[in-house]
Amino acid sequence: MADILVQGFFVGGLYALIALGFVMIFKASMVLNLAYGEMILILSYFLYFLLETADVPLGAAVPILFVSGAALGFLVERLAIRPLLGQPFLSVLMMTLMLGFLFKGITVFIWGGESFSYGFTPAGMINIGNMLVRPDAMVAFFVALFIFVLMLFLFQYTKIGLAMRVVAADHLVSQSLGIRVKRIFSLSWVISGILAVVCAILVGMVWMVTPEMGDIALGKGLPVLLLGGMDSIPGALVGGLLIGLVESLGGYWGGEIRAIIPWIVMMLILLVRPWGMFGQRRIERI
Amino acid sequence: MGLPCGTFNSRPEQDMAIVRTKTQWVLVFLSLAFFFTLALYLPMDWLVWLIMLGIYGVAVLGLHILVGLCGQFSMGHAAFMAVGAYTVAVLATKYDVNPWLCLPLSAAFAGLVGLIFGFPALRIKGFYLVMSTIAAQFIVIWVIQEQSWTGGVYGIEVPDVPGVQTGGENDYRNFWWLTMGIAVAMILLAKNVQRTAVGRKFIAVRDNDLAAEVMGINLFRTKLLAFFIGCSFAGVAGWLWAHFMGHITPLQFDFKMSLIFLGMIIVGGMGSTTGALMGTMILRLTEKLVDNISATLSDWFPGQAVQMFPAMSLIVFAAVVMFFIMVQPRGAYHLFTRVKLYYRLHPFSY
Repeated sequence: MADILVQGFFVGGLYALIALGFVMIFKASMVLNLAYGEMILILSYFLYFLLETADVPLGAAVPILFVSGAALGFLVERLAIRPLLGQPFLSVLMMTLMLGFLFKGITVFIWGGESFSYGFTPAGMINIGNMLVRPDAMVAFFVALFIFVLMLFLFQYTKIGLAMRVVAADHLVSQSLGIRVKRIFSLSWVISGILAVVCAILVGMVWMVTPEMGDIALGKGLPVLLLGGMDSIPGALVGGLLIGLVESLGGYWGGEIRAIIPWIVMMLILLVRPWGMFGQRRIERI
Repeated sequence: MGLPCGTFNSRPEQDMAIVRTKTQWVLVFLSLAFFFTLALYLPMDWLVWLIMLGIYGVAVLGLHILVGLCGQFSMGHAAFMAVGAYTVAVLATKYDVNPWLCLPLSAAFAGLVGLIFGFPALRIKGFYLVMSTIAAQFIVIWVIQEQSWTGGVYGIEVPDVPGVQTGGENDYRNFWWLTMGIAVAMILLAKNVQRTAVGRKFIAVRDNDLAAEVMGINLFRTKLLAFFIGCSFAGVAGWLWAHFMGHITPLQFDFKMSLIFLGMIIVGGMGSTTGALMGTMILRLTEKLVDNISATLSDWFPGQAVQMFPAMSLIVFAAVVMFFIMVQPRGAYHLFTRVKLYYRLHPFSY
């Protein structure tokens, strides 16, 4: 029982990290990036290509991957999202979905249906105290925690973080304060791309990398996002851990229902409190 | 788009008419005759394509009412189609219900499931509603996959429609006439929804739901009605799909299919029936094109020949929809009316 809770908690950290990539972009520019799952997918396959086909050592492959992740985020924002500034939200949403299709198509075109997982950590279970835990999930959890602390530091104590918070609050005010809003949009996409790299490595460690991975990431990330609130970073962490716990508990008692528990939690939160646990409630006027 | 020069509406019936002028009547009859006789001389693969076009068209009309008219975005339309398809499959195989009787039942049941997932729509909209319909997609397909009476992932056989699918060589031809009849009835229904009080309420809710409520429109009823009508169309499309396929599995109704429906609405242009049908036509034609492209590309990249078709269908579909979002966000129908206006005024620019 305790094993299952701890396992759910650890995997929940990874879910939180996936949701963080959505939050970063949504907070700054109110764009829900549904291509995020496929960004993770294509980066995962790219790492596989670097390690296996191009034979780059791990120490060199990871920096290359980070740079390409940042470039991917930057290019997507610049070429696909910025031209749609001011368009109705469905156009932007559909654009991100189509980018997802494009990335998936390119991945399938180059690598076909290959599936694999990275063996960076020892396989099997390890014994801590008197609990059995999966080492890869544990590593993923602590990396996710580290990233959250890093993001918190970025937002609370740096000038860029302050600018990003102002942009999240009001575009007009930030422009009159001399902050370049479009540059902040770019920056949030670059940060999101870098987060996608971290997710790509961790997801490849904990689960399998398959062409369907994008949908799986979407299926875990979106419920966490809604549960925590779409524009809240602490919300993503708390939501991720909660969904991880509930999911593993559901798997313990209900068996097969495990697969849709995140969606059911999401439907409930949408009925009761649509803006999430920590999200900002928007009041509408005519 | 106004009426042609010299034509005026002098009576209320003329103002309400779906088909207004004599030219339009002639065009309607000619196109009906054209599509009816098409089945007689088309080769087999194009006939199958035509039937699929009809089925997709019915489903997209439902999405058009839901998204284009009422503004309630749905990314789970394929799931509601699956509900319709499984209704007829289970009722006809397990309980020996006549498939013809299942047609209204499929529509009603898909509509009811749509109501369940449309229920949050009163409080939420935009992103949040999209999330709720994505959840609908995954929950419905999961439920179908896990039950033993639906055949699980292996799917279920669907009996033939009596009087249409007799096992002879005319099956496809008969099925196209059936599909065409249902599609024409559905187009008429969609057009009628659009011109009645209900349709105007939908449009008011789409344009500004708070303002619509202040004007005295019952928001909850209107939104749920839109979900019911839109999802029943999907149910009818599911009924056709089930009988045409003969064997249905939950994996046929995946998330990608829902997005294809939404893409058809966007490519065609939101808020017009003709636009929805044009979008369906364009994206189905691209799918046909993908067959040819991937055959050619397979010769160039023999190493990638196996995955060429799935990859190219994703890439080409994404490229077409992205092109329309970037270049013509109001859709193909808007382009069509612009061209029509240009030729109507031809020697003059306005």
